[in-house]
Amino acid sequence: MRSGFVRALWRLCSVQGAWNYERMTGVGMGHAAEPLLEDLKSADPVRHAEASVRSAEYFNSHPYLAGLALGALVRAEYDLVPGAQISRLRAALASPLGALGDQFFWAGVVPAAVGLAILGVIAGFGLWAIAVVLLLYNGLRIATGVWALRTGLASGARVGAAIGESWLPGAASRAGVVAGLIIGLAVPLAADWLLDPQGLAAVGIAVATLLAGLGAAWRLGPRITAVKFGLIAIGLALILVWGLS
Amino acid sequence: MSNLSAGALVLLAAWGTLTGMDLVTFPQALLSRPLVACAGAGLILGDVQTGLRVGVVLELFALDVLPVGASRYPDYGPGAVAAVVLASGGPWVERLGIAALFALGFAVLGGWSLIWLRQVNGRLIQQGAAGLAAGDPGAIAGIQLKGLAGDLVRSLGLSAVALILAQVLHPVLPGGPRFALVTAAAVGAGVAAAAGGAIRAAGRGARLRWLVVGTGIGLIAAVLT
Repeated sequence: MRSGFVRALWRLCSVQGAWNYERMTGVGMGHAAEPLLEDLKSADPVRHAEASVRSAEYFNSHPYLAGLALGALVRAEYDLVPGAQISRLRAALASPLGALGDQFFWAGVVPAAVGLAILGVIAGFGLWAIAVVLLLYNGLRIATGVWALRTGLASGARVGAAIGESWLPGAASRAGVVAGLIIGLAVPLAADWLLDPQGLAAVGIAVATLLAGLGAAWRLGPRITAVKFGLIAIGLALILVWGLS
Repeated sequence: MSNLSAGALVLLAAWGTLTGMDLVTFPQALLSRPLVACAGAGLILGDVQTGLRVGVVLELFALDVLPVGASRYPDYGPGAVAAVVLASGGPWVERLGIAALFALGFAVLGGWSLIWLRQVNGRLIQQGAAGLAAGDPGAIAGIQLKGLAGDLVRSLGLSAVALILAQVLHPVLPGGPRFALVTAAAVGAGVAAAAGGAIRAAGRGARLRWLVVGTGIGLIAAVLT
């Protein structure tokens, strides 16, 4: 198993490579499991074949935390846990890992990182701000990936308890608070940075569009997405300005 | 057509492809975020400032959506890269709004192409059903690699179309100080998107309180600077 750790970690970077509506990330999980299951092939070929089938079945979680499930499921195969129990463990891990990862990374770390990059750019650090944020973000992402696979491999079927006792649940709730603060800071400063060289008329148009956007979101809810509103608002402005010029 | 060298176009297409793949398949390293995609394009074009301005505007829109699992979300990368081509070489104040409109259109197209790719991957699963049922590692690897190749083709196609269109539109873009108002509309719509997303994500707990604190400090800083 030890020899396949790095290869499995690498393959986890593309765990969503064949994402589809039938098995979601199942095939990516199977592909990443293969280097870890190699030792089982020589020791117990029948079990290896069964484990390979199970490894590519339906699965979906946050991609950065998929290693927790992968490690736990592979460990369970080596521990000769019954196949039906492994399938149940696989199903049970999907939603919690998805929710935790979405809360920690997608709703917390990513907006915080992007907000920091925006603040850095506005402060005049340009590309350096983006480079530093990319370095920090990917450092955290790789460290989380290594921790996840290690923890999964060490815990096997007890991975649920290991996750509960780990740093992850606490960090997931704190990351959102940090993201809120940073986004709150970054958005007004970004607007100021973009509108600064323009006159009062431009500021008026921006504020009117902002209010229209918030009003549309309040009245129409999810029926009007940000992109849809942006296309309509900018398109209308373009038609009006073009008509006047 | 704008007068970009073949080398720059190849680099932009490669960068656009990488940003497109980064969203879902590989390496998911934040490269698909509009700010990063546009900064890279600005670097390639030698116009970093335009890249950063386009990137910040588009990032405001992107902050609205979380790329969660099976949900539908826009793919900003390839269109954002081409939008920098569109905005470069002229006064950014006049071109930013049009570039944002262009990038948002391609983001929608990119989102649709992701749905298509997922359906293609589903067909690959059906074709490889026997190998999957037998636990054949070769079959699993084959489907995985074809999925990755599919996203490469999708991202490259999207980047190529966006870059060609940006090249064609670049010399005929309307200009003049009035077009700063289009940029202002784009900024307003972007702020509405970011604010809407932030408020939705904040719920009613501590995150909302810190969002309000951050916004207050940000507004004061914006007024004072």
